[in-house]
Amino acid sequence: MTHLLEIQNLAFSWPGAEFPVFEHLDLTVREGAFILVRGASGTGKSTLLRLCCRLNRPQVGVILFRGRNIVETAPAVLRSMISYVAQIPQMTDMTVGENLLLPFSFAANRNKIAPSEEALEQMLAEFYLEGVSLGQSALKLSTGQKQRLAIMRAILQQPDLMLLDEPTSALDPESAAMVFSIMERLNTERKMTILGVTHSDYRPETVVALAYRLENRRLTLTDA
Amino acid sequence: MNQIIDISIPQLLLAFVFILIAQASSFIYHLGLNRDISVGALRTFAQLFLMGYVLTFILGTQSLLLTLAVFAVMVVSAMFIVRGRVKEKQVAYVLPTFLTMLVTYFATAVFVSGFIVGTTPWWEPRYFIPTLGMVIGNSMSAIAIALERMFRDMRVQRDVVEMKLALGANYREASDEVFRNAVTAGMIPSINAMMGVGLVFIPGMMSGQILSGTDPLVAIRYQIVVMFMLVGSTALTSIIVMLIVRKRCFGSGEEVLLTPR
Repeated sequence: MTHLLEIQNLAFSWPGAEFPVFEHLDLTVREGAFILVRGASGTGKSTLLRLCCRLNRPQVGVILFRGRNIVETAPAVLRSMISYVAQIPQMTDMTVGENLLLPFSFAANRNKIAPSEEALEQMLAEFYLEGVSLGQSALKLSTGQKQRLAIMRAILQQPDLMLLDEPTSALDPESAAMVFSIMERLNTERKMTILGVTHSDYRPETVVALAYRLENRRLTLTDA
Repeated sequence: MNQIIDISIPQLLLAFVFILIAQASSFIYHLGLNRDISVGALRTFAQLFLMGYVLTFILGTQSLLLTLAVFAVMVVSAMFIVRGRVKEKQVAYVLPTFLTMLVTYFATAVFVSGFIVGTTPWWEPRYFIPTLGMVIGNSMSAIAIALERMFRDMRVQRDVVEMKLALGANYREASDEVFRNAVTAGMIPSINAMMGVGLVFIPGMMSGQILSGTDPLVAIRYQIVVMFMLVGSTALTSIIVMLIVRKRCFGSGEEVLLTPR
């Protein structure tokens, strides 16, 4: 397995803050890996993911994607390869189908083939969205449904790496279990590399995961 | 028809009755506008008198330099007014806005004065300065509205903009809706004015020309030019300013720089 993502000596501070959110942070993500980063609220878990796709800028350190510094790749191109799903799922005021195909309207994804309507309907079932139709408004879905739809939308671009930011924090236990199941199936069936952060006690059941803890501004391996 | 009735100073002071009505309304209904109404009335009085004397002087001298100096003062003043309304600290918008105003207003005034009206010289102050005044007054408000809207929407819709960025959108694609809404918000007053002109209201310039004895059929031609000029210059200035300022809302990694307040 090759290194997909390498984080070296990373540090991040909010403007005007006395202490950095974290510093001297190193992490290697191998292709096909399933990595979980745990930590309490405010320890910088989300920031770590956002730095990986350049939604925030680090003060110190380097992030390499496939051996290349991420700042050397056009942001839109980088984000078409590293897909980030936010804690609170966001949908535009369009139908479910239009939301799912939204990434294909962007220049960085124009060379990718958009899935057919049949393929989308089949995928909806895989994401526990059987009752959802492509023509209905995405804004009217529950938060749990939106979160599953957001993950589905992200993988339609066939990214090399999925960054999942507390994907179950706003969900009830049943919806959370569905999302965890989806995450594991993405890794086992689609060989998707996953880097997720959570403050829950979730332990993957069907995949071999690496677990880290982010606390006191440092990242440490807790479970191999 | 060619006689204009002069307004004497006592007659002018009689117009303050309207200010007293506004003051009384604010006082009775506790609107808290008394100070603003007083300052506004005094500024109107002082600024217009000053402008009157300056114009009388400039029209008499027929100096290009003085005409351009008036233009510079007007644009700088407009920029200060825009800056007073748009209190944004995280994005440096003042300089690009000022430079855009300077260039587009100048180009518009030259086009209208020199080409459409066909004055000689092109900077003939009697046409050039009033043209600028109308363009700046209209476009300044549009820019302020558009900037306020863009900064507000960029913050309110930050999560949606970031969602699009995360899905591979570039900054233009991610903020397309914010951009369009901002420009539209700035443009709507000018477009509405075109809809209502001649039906709902008689614009100030046309009224002034008619009052000063100009044939209404001549006055309407000027007014049509003015209405088109205002829409065009407002669109041009707003779009250029929004394009530049939108880029400045994003960092080098196309990350959103505006943080929630």
